[in-house]
Amino acid sequence: MALAGEDFCIVAADTRQSDGYHINCRYAPKAHQLSDKTVIGTSGFYADGLNFVKKIKQRMEWYFHQHDKTMSTTAIAQLISIMLYQKRFFPYYVFCVIGGIDENGKGCVYSYDSVGNAERVQYQAAGSGNELLQPFLDSQIGLKNRSNENETLNLTEEMAIKIVKDAFSSVTERDIHTGDCVEIYIIRKDGVECQKYPLKRD
Amino acid sequence: MITFFLVLLQSGNEYNGGAVVAMVGKDCVAIASDKRFGLELLTLATDFEKIFKMNDKCYIGLAGLATDVQTLSEELKLKCDLYKLREEREITPKKFAHLVSSTLYDHRWGPYFCEPCIAGLDENNKPFICSTDLIGCINFAKDFVVCGTTARELYGICESFWEPDLGPEELFEVISQSLLNAFDRDSKSGWGAVVHIITPEKIITRHLKTRQD
Amino acid sequence: MFLTRSEYDRGVNTFSPEGRLFQVEYAIEAIKMGSTAIGIQTSEGVILAVEKRITSTLLEPSSIEKILEIDSHVGCAMSGLNADARTMIDHARVQAQNHTFVYDEPIKIESITQAICDLALRFGEGAQGEESIMSRPFGVALLIAGCDENGPQLFHADPSGTFTKYQAKAIGSGSEGAQTELQENYHKSLTLKEAETLSLKVLKQVMEEKVNSVNVQLCSVTPNEGFHIYSEEEVNEIINTL
Repeated sequence: MALAGEDFCIVAADTRQSDGYHINCRYAPKAHQLSDKTVIGTSGFYADGLNFVKKIKQRMEWYFHQHDKTMSTTAIAQLISIMLYQKRFFPYYVFCVIGGIDENGKGCVYSYDSVGNAERVQYQAAGSGNELLQPFLDSQIGLKNRSNENETLNLTEEMAIKIVKDAFSSVTERDIHTGDCVEIYIIRKDGVECQKYPLKRD
Repeated sequence: MITFFLVLLQSGNEYNGGAVVAMVGKDCVAIASDKRFGLELLTLATDFEKIFKMNDKCYIGLAGLATDVQTLSEELKLKCDLYKLREEREITPKKFAHLVSSTLYDHRWGPYFCEPCIAGLDENNKPFICSTDLIGCINFAKDFVVCGTTARELYGICESFWEPDLGPEELFEVISQSLLNAFDRDSKSGWGAVVHIITPEKIITRHLKTRQD
Repeated sequence: MFLTRSEYDRGVNTFSPEGRLFQVEYAIEAIKMGSTAIGIQTSEGVILAVEKRITSTLLEPSSIEKILEIDSHVGCAMSGLNADARTMIDHARVQAQNHTFVYDEPIKIESITQAICDLALRFGEGAQGEESIMSRPFGVALLIAGCDENGPQLFHADPSGTFTKYQAKAIGSGSEGAQTELQENYHKSLTLKEAETLSLKVLKQVMEEKVNSVNVQLCSVTPNEGFHIYSEEEVNEIINTL
């Protein structure tokens, strides 16, 4: 999942890798740092995810040499959409979200389906627990169904991290594919920080 | 054959759509449902309540195939009334749960496509909730139960929102917010909601206005 | 035996003993016969100005196009064999559009210039099955003007595939005189308005005919408005201030 604040962004993913009822690995990172302004979270087929991230990093390297600058988050966002669509008829089985800081210094989140449909959003959940997570984020960050329509949210970093932790511990409770450990990437203007927290291992 | 049965079971439950949730509070319980009635993705009515009163302290919410929801609710109401006549007392939620369970199991090989949620207060006004699957396997829960096409969304959000010992008003807020935010992410439920809070003294029924899509 | 060039100027990919590629050098010579084109970079934007040679009174001046748009933020002026520029500019336009499509951002001016120069040496037999598109070097030089995140910039690309960044540059038949003139009059704090006037002033000095609104073409590329070709009225206004 990923969510964007005014001048920061958070990308978080659990680290369980499962196959049906079987847990293959308790620490298989699904979130990857692409640059000091962008982090990607992948879910779906793990091998496709890893390969896809590798491909993105390779394209970013080429871009860096060709244009002598690091790719911006929006450029990566568009590139991902196109890379996914290029495999329209044999898709990467990945559902990714990217979070980062855009050219204006604002936090941004892009979410994708497996064939490259992209949308810029404020928050997004993807993967096996997405149905469980999304309504919670709607309520807590989207402020949906509030009686006071003018209510605005001034999302601070501490609040955001707390929401993320709450969300993951709740999903872990009910989704068997989620658990073990959550990695939270916090992307700020001046760099990326990664925090790890344990989740239930059952 | 088994596959065919499973497909039927799946589509039966998801044909009309719907969401029901029940929660335990401090000396009270709450049960809520959406009001949509549709045929797959086509919405036909928006005043279809899925919660039925069995007596002052026992309610049942039925999510699933609408025809079965109606038939089963009538049948259960009949059985409750007969119980009252025969025993000269109201049925307790726990006994009612077993009644529901056995009624459903009677149709083991041709089930009602319904998942019930039961909420009520027992003879000592102790809160009780439970849910069953469509053939009557009871799930006694201490916190909340959910069913319908919105079940996964409801699980996620209730797990975050629910906490022990909520008063009636707090419970109302929690169950409403949970239901509303959950069914907004489900195209097969929504279009208004109704919440019943059952306390020893009274029943509070509130109809909620929600987004209409 | 090797007193004349003639032995080594046949093949386009044969060096002379002195280490020269005559065909490329000849191509550079070809530009010196072309019409004059001038580019001036200022902090507010870049100006491109070219002369049009109206060789006949029956000629329709608007059919001579020597300034072309590559993308909404990049323009290009040419001198030499104009027909050759078509291929290069088509390529540049495709590259620019492709960049926008893939990365959702305008391409950098340096990158688009590089893309054009990549073409310049694709003559002769292509290496490793790389398809060659031309049998000889391009006979055209380009002034590429644009604005990106690094501000307004001006690049010069020649047939050898070399590109250089300039603050002010003249190419074509009058380039020597014009370049000296630019050198004398250019300063870093030039405004766009002053650059407009300067470009026409320099053109006026190197052109044989009198400058008027039909025998010159003028364009500007600014951060806000992007690529813009001046209408006859706008050009007239500037000519009147000369």
